Amino acid sequence: MRIRFGADADLTAPSNDRLNVGDPRVIDFLTRFARRLLAPAVARRHPELGSLGFFLRPAEIKRAVAAMQRPDALVFPRGNVFHVSPANVDTIFVYSWALSALAGNHNVVRISERSTTAADAVLDALTATLTDADPIISRTQHMITYGRDDRLTAALSTWCDLRVIWGGDVAVNTIREHPLRPSARDLTFPGRTSWAALSAAGWRTADPAARRRAVAGLANDTYWFDQAACSSPLTVFLVGESVDGVGDEFLTLLLDVVNERGWQVDAAMAVEKRVNAYGLAATGAFTTIAFPANAVTAMSVRTLQDVPRRWLGTGSFPFAQVGSLLDLVPAITRQDQTFSHFGFTPAELQAFATALGGRGVDRIVPFGSALTFSAIWDGYDLPREFTRLTTLVP
Amino acid sequence: MSVFTLDQAAKEKVLLAELSALVEHHRTRCEPYARILTALGYAGAGSVAELPWLPVRLFKNLTLKSVPDDEVFKTLTSSGTTGGVSRIYLDKGAAAAQTRHLAATVQSVLGPRRLPMLLVDSKALLRDRRTFSARGAGVLGMATFGRDHAWALDDDGNVALDVICGFLAAHGDEPFLIFGFTYLVWLHLYRVAREHGLNLSNGLLIHSGGWKKLVDQAVSPAQFRAALAEVGLARTFNFYGMVEQIGTIFLEGPSGGSLYCPDFADVVVRDPQTWAELPPGEPGLLEVVSTLPTSYPGHVLLTEDLGVVHGIDDGAWPGKRFSVLGRLPRAEARGCSDTYQEAA
Repeated sequence: MRIRFGADADLTAPSNDRLNVGDPRVIDFLTRFARRLLAPAVARRHPELGSLGFFLRPAEIKRAVAAMQRPDALVFPRGNVFHVSPANVDTIFVYSWALSALAGNHNVVRISERSTTAADAVLDALTATLTDADPIISRTQHMITYGRDDRLTAALSTWCDLRVIWGGDVAVNTIREHPLRPSARDLTFPGRTSWAALSAAGWRTADPAARRRAVAGLANDTYWFDQAACSSPLTVFLVGESVDGVGDEFLTLLLDVVNERGWQVDAAMAVEKRVNAYGLAATGAFTTIAFPANAVTAMSVRTLQDVPRRWLGTGSFPFAQVGSLLDLVPAITRQDQTFSHFGFTPAELQAFATALGGRGVDRIVPFGSALTFSAIWDGYDLPREFTRLTTLVP
Repeated sequence: MSVFTLDQAAKEKVLLAELSALVEHHRTRCEPYARILTALGYAGAGSVAELPWLPVRLFKNLTLKSVPDDEVFKTLTSSGTTGGVSRIYLDKGAAAAQTRHLAATVQSVLGPRRLPMLLVDSKALLRDRRTFSARGAGVLGMATFGRDHAWALDDDGNVALDVICGFLAAHGDEPFLIFGFTYLVWLHLYRVAREHGLNLSNGLLIHSGGWKKLVDQAVSPAQFRAALAEVGLARTFNFYGMVEQIGTIFLEGPSGGSLYCPDFADVVVRDPQTWAELPPGEPGLLEVVSTLPTSYPGHVLLTEDLGVVHGIDDGAWPGKRFSVLGRLPRAEARGCSDTYQEAA
């Protein structure tokens, strides 16, 4: 086990340190940490860290702390929180850790051994911020890396009051084999699928600049995490009775954007995409497959039942046509998380969400916001999850 | 009689006609293949490089065959290093053709006579049904080109020095054949030949299998060849082939350094960014074509191997000469839906 952030200590030993909800020492630490992430050198190299820094700016922190307060109860930290971060999303662990720290919890975050350079940059920034921080931060906040070690996982599982598990379904189930204390519980973020939908009518009425912005936004949603984040859209629904020309124009703009950003995929990814596209053409799920650039694969999906629910490689754009958003409702399942949209009226989106009735889709956001983390995630109000309520009747 | 006779222009003409006919043949008999061609909008090729290729991994994910179930005579499987099993379906005609063409290719260097044969492997390989794999099939396929077989490794995979010495005592003063997987030949035969001063000078070695294990030990094909020549084994022929194109092997020329394509097969090296064919000297992804696959659409395959064409019509045999440079790594993505394998 390697401690990558925080003081060297017995992680599960009882502690006399106490943090409060919205503790000024934590706020101070997070504010200065965010400033480091927003430094031009960091943001240039890892644009996703810029979003993280933005999420942690003072106004946001103040809002999050305010949201933790309640008129009907006293609010306290939940206690000890054990976070298991996903294998290879660079930064998502930081969001849930930061909110949990803000709630005053003692945290142990397990970071994948396969952590990427962006995750390393985060850890560097955290450690650098520690220098001027109150020592209570390094005593109560830990980030660690370890290989398969059931004993350690078991010990941390009985130490914590809340266990936060990010990862695929298998990962969640594997971690869950380790019992929690009777009073503790799990907060799970298993494998999810996400979609994008484009209104043909909205597209036609949008001016060229708005269309381009929309495509650039969806491109960010798609390429930033190799289209493999749970919120990355896997299929683009073209919505309308007639969508003629919309898909083609979208693709042309997309190629432009991808070209402009200089996004490429390597040979292994290019082959992966061919294998997946050819495979789904062979079964009849895709009626056309086209490879206008290595970074962009375009496919036509035969019917709604044929919409792929698995990762097809970075820059895969299956297009499926439906008459209206409501036609999509039967195809949506509990697994579906983010629904990115462009060109719909608020009323159309409202009607869609109401028809879904919470049976699937936790987030309905405009193109370009799919990866923007928020305190309400996967249907959970995280600040609420990270706190404990005491009622007092005098 | 050799199957390395056609110069590139002549071969291109023959192959384009035969492979184009095979495309249509499979298109009418293999529905998934037909769907792929339709989805791609394929409408004919003006050169071998324009023929529509399938990624070889598709044979792991899909059932691709161009004969009815009751005509399947043999199903071959291979487990690749990246997991998953390829399934290749042969009818009687395809099974016979692959055997015949493999024989003709090997006999190009071996001559028509069956020679005494030393197999650098363990006979146990054939007994254990569960591990009977591409390696077992490969050994069995080659064994038909020899006689008086001796197995150089015992059941535990250790060198059976007494067997090797017995074989050499009986046949060492006449031409004999050695076959084995490249890394086994290196690890076992080369080592004992050097340590015990075995006389292999009448031997002709045919070997195959990935170079990865040898590259890990920093042994290049040229070093391999030179080291074996040092222990008296001057005639060695490496070959490259895969179960997805069974019967077709690309054989090392007599002076080494390159693999050559038999008359019924060829390679195309592609740029993995533009997918265009690359000229000699530029490494890229290796595509293999062969007229042998008639019962499954494996006639034009994009491999996950990297290769380079060294020259065309400028070597010991006509046509393209090339090398295999190694394997493409498996694509890895970031992303939260990726399972935390070592989570517990």
